Amino acid sequence: MSALDVRIVKRLPGFTLDVAWTAGDGVAVLFGPSGAGKTLTLQCLAGLLRPDEGRIVVDGRLLFEAGRRARGPVVDLPPQARRVGYVFQGYALFPHLTVAENVGFGLRDQPATRRAEKTAEVLERLGLAAHATRLPRDLSGGQRQRVALGRALAIDPALLLLDEPLSALDAPLRRALRDELRAILSDWRTAAVLVTHDFTEAYRLGDRIVVYDAGRVVQAAPRSELLWQPASESVARIMGIRNVLHGSVVKATPDRIQIRWRGQLLEAVNSPSHSYLPAPESPIAFFIRSEYVRLIRKDRGAADPAHHMNLMEGAVVGEEDFGTTWSLRIRLDAPGAPAQGEHDLEVEVPHLVYEILEIDRDRRWQFSIHRGSIHVLPA
Amino acid sequence: MSAETVSALVLSLRVAVFATVVNALVGVPLAYLLARRRFAGRAVLDLLVTLPLVLPPTVTGYYLIVLLGRRGWLGAPLYAATGWTIAFTWYAAVVAATVMALPLLVRTARAAIESVDRDLEKAAYTLGRSEWRTALEVTLPLARNGILAGLVLAFARALGEFGATLMLAGNIPGKTATVPLAIYTAVQTGEQSTVLVLVAILTALSCVVLVAASRLGARAT
Repeated sequence: MSALDVRIVKRLPGFTLDVAWTAGDGVAVLFGPSGAGKTLTLQCLAGLLRPDEGRIVVDGRLLFEAGRRARGPVVDLPPQARRVGYVFQGYALFPHLTVAENVGFGLRDQPATRRAEKTAEVLERLGLAAHATRLPRDLSGGQRQRVALGRALAIDPALLLLDEPLSALDAPLRRALRDELRAILSDWRTAAVLVTHDFTEAYRLGDRIVVYDAGRVVQAAPRSELLWQPASESVARIMGIRNVLHGSVVKATPDRIQIRWRGQLLEAVNSPSHSYLPAPESPIAFFIRSEYVRLIRKDRGAADPAHHMNLMEGAVVGEEDFGTTWSLRIRLDAPGAPAQGEHDLEVEVPHLVYEILEIDRDRRWQFSIHRGSIHVLPA
Repeated sequence: MSAETVSALVLSLRVAVFATVVNALVGVPLAYLLARRRFAGRAVLDLLVTLPLVLPPTVTGYYLIVLLGRRGWLGAPLYAATGWTIAFTWYAAVVAATVMALPLLVRTARAAIESVDRDLEKAAYTLGRSEWRTALEVTLPLARNGILAGLVLAFARALGEFGATLMLAGNIPGKTATVPLAIYTAVQTGEQSTVLVLVAILTALSCVVLVAASRLGARAT
């Protein structure tokens, strides 16, 4: 049985949240654009917002049930009774209380000695013992994150909720704290639901990723499956995948799919989990990861079609420097309008490669794409 | 200073202190309700509390007579039962000052409560605190400076109340004649020195109050 079983319908003016998903132990990430209903879901899980109907079960404990499909009378535990820890966006630390008072805030029902012990234990475990008597405003961003986590974890929650936990931080700190957060979550082993709109964050922190769009779940999958097999074109776009393209099917077998696109005949590996057999001539969407397009070196002799699959030729028509990589915009030597406005493909190359190949001077290139790097998207 | 001047000062302070205490007990919960709860009649309650701020004080005083006078809606049953009426007692001065000062406290305290981040309250709920405990431990402490500023303003307003007090409590020397009323009487009877002393004292007090309120207000933000 899943640790977390969620079905929520909540109607608001101009927006309806209607989602259902499950998650096991570990970290489930709700990922999607702003306004997709991710934070609303967290508030429903915590009992801060009442769904119109649905069912919420955490570790076999029924927290909420109401609506037509309910099996019994309405259940709606108040937030005080749910044992759900909530790390708010911006942390929401009590500014008038010290670090220790913040962390011990949820332990009021316990005897004073037990409360002090538990607080000390949490502070110690999170490396905050030296800051116990300081106020939140005197802490760094990273320390604040740990206090917020400590405060939520001190109550030994059945479920931990984290709303955009890294969004309040500067970019360099973000990355360091992402890894720290990952370590704390795996150390504590509490089932957690984390909300983010950043795919890197979702991938780094989540065991399972639930993709939200406009109040609905468009895909829920283990993170590696999501990375390589987005369920649809819209999921690929939400994930920020570049080179989402449209062609037509030439031939499909359970292993391979041949696609005609921009005058090229591309060969792709069929999806291993849901083998996909569209009829010839039907339209098909696919994507090519920009970091998986190979540039053919000119100093190594002519390209060999036997070794270089899906060989094509074109010119660099634009480029952008991302600091450690260059993103090249390629226009293929093919008649007709380019696939993506002024260009057909976006290709990412490391700075070192860019310099060795002197791409700033040499604009015409041959490319090849391994068939395993062309991913078909179910319609 | 004459005995009457001293008694006016003592009375004024006593009335203002009582009115401020009643304001704290009634106004702070009222401000919390208006800031945080949605309930039937909320708009009407808001209007009733705020009205004395814009109505001429004599009109507010008239309504108080209608409500609390010997033949008033509440005053008549009270008189019938006990033979006592609040009109023309120093309690009436307290009631008038309280009603006139209430909107100042409620508006200031409400703004301070509304500025407290709701996520802090939600965090307290998830950590097991009831709404009542959360208000006492999180919301009100964080709104403290705004509430204190409101109480200081309410005290000042109570100290200076004239119109509504005159209507409900009258102008009885030594009994209901507070400093503003005593100043009026002194001007009418041409007691120049009494006027000067009382005016100077009220001006000085008002200055102190304004400085205190603005300091508290500055710390609140």
